[in-house]
Amino acid sequence: MRRMEVALITDRKELRAVLREKFPRNHGQLLPALHFLQHEFGHLPDWAMEVVGWHLGIPASEVYGAATSYTELRIKKPGEHVVRVCTGLGCWMNGGKDLLSGLAHDLQAKPGETTSDGRITLEETLCGFLCGLAPAVEVDGKWQGRATAAAVHASVNGAAKP
Amino acid sequence: MTTTASPIKFLSQIAAEAAARRKELLGGKTRHIVQVAHCSLAVGADKVVAAVRQAVGENEVIIVAGCDGTCFQAPKTVTIAPDGRREVKGHGVESDFFALQKRIAMDGCGEIDATDVDDYLAHGGYAGLAKALSMSPEAVIEEVKASGLRGRGGAYFPAAMKWEGARKVRNSPKYLVVNAEEGEPGIFKDRHLMEGVPHRIIEGMAIAAYATGINEAYVYINAEANLSAHRMEKAIARAKAAGLLCEKILGSDFTLNVTIMRGAGGYVCGEETTLLNTMEGYRREPRLRPPFPTTAGLWAKPTVINNCETLANVPFIMAKGAKAYAAIGAWPSDSKTPPNQRASGTKIVSLSGSVHRPGVVELPMGTTLRQIIEAVGNGPMAGHALTGVAVGGPSSGVFPTSMLDTQIAPGLLHESGVMLGAGGVIALDERTPALDVVRRLAAYNAAESCGKCTPCREGTPRMVDALDRILSGKGAQSDIEELRYLADVVGAASLCGLGQAAGSPITSALRFFGDEIAMRVASGAR
Repeated sequence: MRRMEVALITDRKELRAVLREKFPRNHGQLLPALHFLQHEFGHLPDWAMEVVGWHLGIPASEVYGAATSYTELRIKKPGEHVVRVCTGLGCWMNGGKDLLSGLAHDLQAKPGETTSDGRITLEETLCGFLCGLAPAVEVDGKWQGRATAAAVHASVNGAAKP
Repeated sequence: MTTTASPIKFLSQIAAEAAARRKELLGGKTRHIVQVAHCSLAVGADKVVAAVRQAVGENEVIIVAGCDGTCFQAPKTVTIAPDGRREVKGHGVESDFFALQKRIAMDGCGEIDATDVDDYLAHGGYAGLAKALSMSPEAVIEEVKASGLRGRGGAYFPAAMKWEGARKVRNSPKYLVVNAEEGEPGIFKDRHLMEGVPHRIIEGMAIAAYATGINEAYVYINAEANLSAHRMEKAIARAKAAGLLCEKILGSDFTLNVTIMRGAGGYVCGEETTLLNTMEGYRREPRLRPPFPTTAGLWAKPTVINNCETLANVPFIMAKGAKAYAAIGAWPSDSKTPPNQRASGTKIVSLSGSVHRPGVVELPMGTTLRQIIEAVGNGPMAGHALTGVAVGGPSSGVFPTSMLDTQIAPGLLHESGVMLGAGGVIALDERTPALDVVRRLAAYNAAESCGKCTPCREGTPRMVDALDRILSGKGAQSDIEELRYLADVVGAASLCGLGQAAGSPITSALRFFGDEIAMRVASGAR
């Protein structure tokens, strides 16, 4: 998950044109097209998924069904920053558990929730493949190994500066 | 005009040119090798590269390599003086981390410039491909068969048998899919290979494709493995430019086009039929088998799906011969066991949890868990005692410390359902009791169940509920019975490997920690 950027594409017509240029019309292009949407919008807006379905000749319900089955694709718009704490076994036992509960307490948001000011979304991820550097936390797409709550707060605050 | 008889000659020519270029670049200079991988980036390897780049003198060069598997040392730099003196700078002490290791797939990881084709060639790269192209495809399959290579993704199906099956199918086009979807916690080996020696995977792919008569290959890479995808892309481009990929590979008539495809997350995506569904733009759900992918796979065409690690073993087999490979880690070592049933070669193990030296290690089959945890990992964290070891990820199980002398081998390690799987070894100490671990594994399986088949969808959460009741002291004898029953039913009736193995952690827990479970039930009943 990258830090949310301001979407350059704002309407259906424009998105159709971009899709036509980037993705040949076959079923196998669904996942690449959904990756493109997520990169562009930070999540998968309903209207954009409809346009993808129209372009690829796939019913919108099927696009939605496929999109929701993958863990890395998000349907809901996240906060300005996304903090993901790894709770794989290695991280869990080496401090990830406390890190997650500490961050949830500090941010007043449970895993899966966004802070009331819409600034930070806290998530739990099942593995960040950094077991050797546990505990691991991802802030706006950048992983931190041997992570501490202080380092996570610092990078969120640092990223917020212009 | 074709020059099919001379791939070896072609290779020796381009290898000589590559060596000359390397000499010109590196001759008499100090090399600063910075190990940059997904893991080390998380502890500032990019900053190390920037700092070294700024400080590098006239007679010095910087090489960006993958990681040699020493996660505990990241970020790590190795400086090699022109006279060969080495200086290692890193987070911890290397000591005898490599003593027990035997590097075949990971050979050169952390030493060679990850994507540079010249460096890989100078390291003996593409010799296996040249040899294969100078043989008939059938002879290549025979060689791999004699090596006893089994798939390293967890199922351990003999690689040559899969290739042979696909070769015989008369339907075209055929596809090769490299399964680099590493979705399970505790396992991080494929990305190390892609980040450290992407050319070896490309070489293995080309050999597999040649042996099976395939001209179109896909590399399916995990959604999160951005660096792996980046390095693979770069390596593919460089291999193409050097005449090692695409048309007329090494001057032969063989053509192979490679495309990279990115996944979107989910444990079940690594299951081969699910992976095909994903590539075709459907939900991440498995398909019924048969037909097997070798008969009807991607777009209903014959498809060979090999794990990344499997293919990384192939160049060694072709270059050094099947005998040299079968001699490594041959376990059991009695000569009566046919080679294809022996545990030949090495296995990459992702070592983590309560150890001083976590990392990615390549060990001969037959190495014991005790050796892995104590000799390689240097034992449990200070002040803690080892209480067990979780082997093989969420589809496998947990061993108590009394079972530490179990040897790693393809497939099942114990009748209780503990398998080597894709090779994760997580050392546990008293901070995380084995039963809690089993509960987490069960919860993971429940969360990751795709929901397509009822036994897995309904059974896995019920296993978690029963474990929760027992762990909270509210369990009854009937919960133990239910766990046993569910583990059996979900294992027997599920559609894919995830469901079929979802009961394994429970079965292993009932087998090895049965007393503890019974005690919890009894204390709760008071």
